[in-house]
Amino acid sequence: MPLLTIATFLPILGGLALIALPVRSARVAHGLSITVTGLVFLITLAIWSRGIVPGGFAQVEEIAWIPAIGAAYRLGLDGLSLPLVLLTSLLFLLSAIYSARISERVPSYVVLMLMLETASLGSFMALDGLLFYVFFEVSLVGMYFMIAGWGYEDRQRAALMFFLYTLLGSLPLLLAIIGLYLSSGTFDMRAWIDAPPLAGLGAMLALIAMLFTFAVKIPAFPVHTWLPAAHVQAPTAGSVILAGVMLKFGTYGLVRFALQMTPETFTRAGVVILAFGVFSALYGAFAALAQSDLKKMIAYTSVNHMGYVVMGVAVAALASDPAIRVVALDGAALQMISHGLVTGALFFLVGMLQDRAHIRDMGDFGGLLGRVPWLGWAFVVSAFASLGLPGLAHFPAEFQIFLATLNTQPWAVVAIIAIVVTAGLYLRAIAAVFLGEPNEKWAAMPDLGRREMLVIVPLLFLTVLVGVAPSWLLNMIHTTMASLSF
Amino acid sequence: MGRDLPFLIPEILLSLAVVAMLIAEMVRMARLALWFGLAGLAVATLATLPLLTADTTVFGGTYRIDLLSGWAKLILLPGTAMALLLARAEIAGQQREGSVYSLLCLVTLGALMLAGSGDMMLLVLGVVLTGLGSFALVAYPRDDAATEAGMKYLVFGAVTGSVMIYGLTFWFGGAGSTLFSDLGALEDKPLIAIAGLTAVIVGLGYKASLVPFHFWAPDAYDGAPVSVAAYLSVITKVAALFAFAQVLRDLPVESNWPLVIAMISAVTMTYGYLTALVQTNLVRLIAYSSIAQTGYFLMGIVALGTSAFAIPGLIVLGAAYVAMNLGAFAIILLAGRGLDDIRGFGRRRPAAGVAMVVFLLSLTGIPPLFGFVGKVYLFGAAIDAGYLWLAVIGILNSVLALGVYLRIVVPMYQSAPEATKSFDKPSPRALTAVIGVTAVLTLCMGLLAGLLPG
Repeated sequence: MPLLTIATFLPILGGLALIALPVRSARVAHGLSITVTGLVFLITLAIWSRGIVPGGFAQVEEIAWIPAIGAAYRLGLDGLSLPLVLLTSLLFLLSAIYSARISERVPSYVVLMLMLETASLGSFMALDGLLFYVFFEVSLVGMYFMIAGWGYEDRQRAALMFFLYTLLGSLPLLLAIIGLYLSSGTFDMRAWIDAPPLAGLGAMLALIAMLFTFAVKIPAFPVHTWLPAAHVQAPTAGSVILAGVMLKFGTYGLVRFALQMTPETFTRAGVVILAFGVFSALYGAFAALAQSDLKKMIAYTSVNHMGYVVMGVAVAALASDPAIRVVALDGAALQMISHGLVTGALFFLVGMLQDRAHIRDMGDFGGLLGRVPWLGWAFVVSAFASLGLPGLAHFPAEFQIFLATLNTQPWAVVAIIAIVVTAGLYLRAIAAVFLGEPNEKWAAMPDLGRREMLVIVPLLFLTVLVGVAPSWLLNMIHTTMASLSF
Repeated sequence: MGRDLPFLIPEILLSLAVVAMLIAEMVRMARLALWFGLAGLAVATLATLPLLTADTTVFGGTYRIDLLSGWAKLILLPGTAMALLLARAEIAGQQREGSVYSLLCLVTLGALMLAGSGDMMLLVLGVVLTGLGSFALVAYPRDDAATEAGMKYLVFGAVTGSVMIYGLTFWFGGAGSTLFSDLGALEDKPLIAIAGLTAVIVGLGYKASLVPFHFWAPDAYDGAPVSVAAYLSVITKVAALFAFAQVLRDLPVESNWPLVIAMISAVTMTYGYLTALVQTNLVRLIAYSSIAQTGYFLMGIVALGTSAFAIPGLIVLGAAYVAMNLGAFAIILLAGRGLDDIRGFGRRRPAAGVAMVVFLLSLTGIPPLFGFVGKVYLFGAAIDAGYLWLAVIGILNSVLALGVYLRIVVPMYQSAPEATKSFDKPSPRALTAVIGVTAVLTLCMGLLAGLLPG
């Protein structure tokens, strides 16, 4: 059975079915959304159980599309994309459950959400350059309408900025894809990876184009400015998808396209890329420190965490020892998943807090731990995970990245300062919101409900599981990374 | 001669249909004229299918039956049928209704001649035939705005037409023949080649509304009925661009004409979108966006002869452009001409709203819509021909384009002020049909792009 295709297109088919339904009440729409995303999650579990193979792509599905120019519908998986696919289907399921509280124009919301899931899964599984680009861009359209339609106060401006910024960001990738195509005669990404078709100036131009695209998406300094605006204005589920899934397009593309398709040029530019990664990590941490808006603060910590991923990939390119190279890539890939789990949880929690209080400025809260212990402890655990505490999800990832960095480019370890800063800012946030004098204004704040528990508990469980016993996930990643040739 | 006629069946059928339409109009049966037109266009389209693989010329090389002219028929004939339906929705019951239908079909006949021209005389004939009909169509409403627009259009057309004829005499003198296939003889006469080229750029550039020969377009579109504006923005424009390709295909590149066209392309798209950014009238906004779109077509013309993607790119973007631009005009016909008129449109008319979003995103070039496929081909052609900088400018303009089109999308989903005229009045069936067909084409042909020539 073509499970990859089914998983990719089931959501959008569900959306179309919803449009066709005669009764489109909020209940029906949310029920359909949860059912479809739940089914997709089960299908991705089945895909996982089928496994992957070292050195290359598994479970490939291929159909001719535009034979005249060598573009085809090609899907497949390896150890880099499979964990991301699992993360995507999980986060969409949880977002669907969380979103059941939305009451405004529900059918449109659900259709957009499902369209986004198709685009996200397709982006991670596409093995055809043109197809990847199609999914990649569709996700922008979906997110634009999501922010513009269901966001907060200043949503129109934020949505516009997001769309223009990321479209400007993604178009250079199209040039790079066309360049790769013209020099190889096919859009098959496997062919581009096996025998990188570009060399010299062409490869350098393509790499610059790709780095620009993915840097905007990741987002890395100095093209990150769309992120805080988009995150703050996006609806909660939108923030979760944006941070948990869509930022990963950037880091995924960094490995899949930039590193694998222009490997030599990437190595030559490695130190510059590493420097950008280090600076992003530091910048993100310090910028987050300056925020009092909880959502904005978490948005900036994404810049910080994704900076580590960039560092990991750059170190992998620079490392001469293959063992170190694998450690760096393992760490970078694991960091993507950890960030999805932890930041997903944090955005959900801030969203839940905002649902209750309708504000997100940390100064307006206080002593909430006694009032809403479940919400409070969930936030504390996620925050500790986000600052890289051992035993929680980010630690094994960041440890491997820093280990490889120390081994290859010791100067870059200066980024470790960012971890200290992050620790400081999270402790400050916890102290301001959950400890200290209880603010009487929130005396009647209810704790997490059943639906909210259902959303948070799986993420916390996985955060701890990945922190304590990451081997099940790392093995999957390692299978591919150990055989990555570049 | 006997051999030639079977290749001309579509043109002959269309001419017969036009004659029948004129007769129907004479006896004041506008509906009958419409049906004759639709039937003639449908039959002519079907008659094109067997000719699609032909690659030959008729009448001593003056008229080309090739991939470009075959697809021109396949695109322009159904496009004209759509325009007829739009016109029906807009002017049903008005005086001289039938003459609009006949003129539309007659201009299309000229458009087909343009797209297949292999000879200078035929090119001139095509320009005149499309021109004369279009002037009358623009001035149809007989009010001040329309008369002014028609007049401007006519004067502009007369001047540029004469310049073109004058310049073509240089080519004739230099090459010793009026056939474009003999233009190779100009290889060592670059000055003559450039003199003629300049004239052709003026003549066809006016028809295709390239910057700086675009001034008539926004006024003419705005003065004319919306359906006529829709027609002029797609049918005569695509025909002129295809004619451009037919002419330049044989011109030796020694005169470095691709660079000239590339510069015009860059200026046209940038100017078009920048000007569209400040329009508040939807028809003028789309008019400037159509000018910008012409710039993208020129990327294909730049790469003629150097890239195998040039001709398929022109055809694919041509087909996409006809579908999406007609669709956008159909929505304007439904919603109104002002940018304010469309406020709340998407909320009141969800299906039509989604269709408009599809048209506009396709015009921007967002995948997987039809317009995206055309642009990929043309970007590929430009890069293939060594014009990476042009592709970069094209891409930067796509961002500008998004800004332009979001200016329509954003108010569509804001809540409508109470006092707006109702969007709830039922739309004519003809209009619904056009919107439906163009939306489905725009949405699906991107995925089915394998069916198109490559």
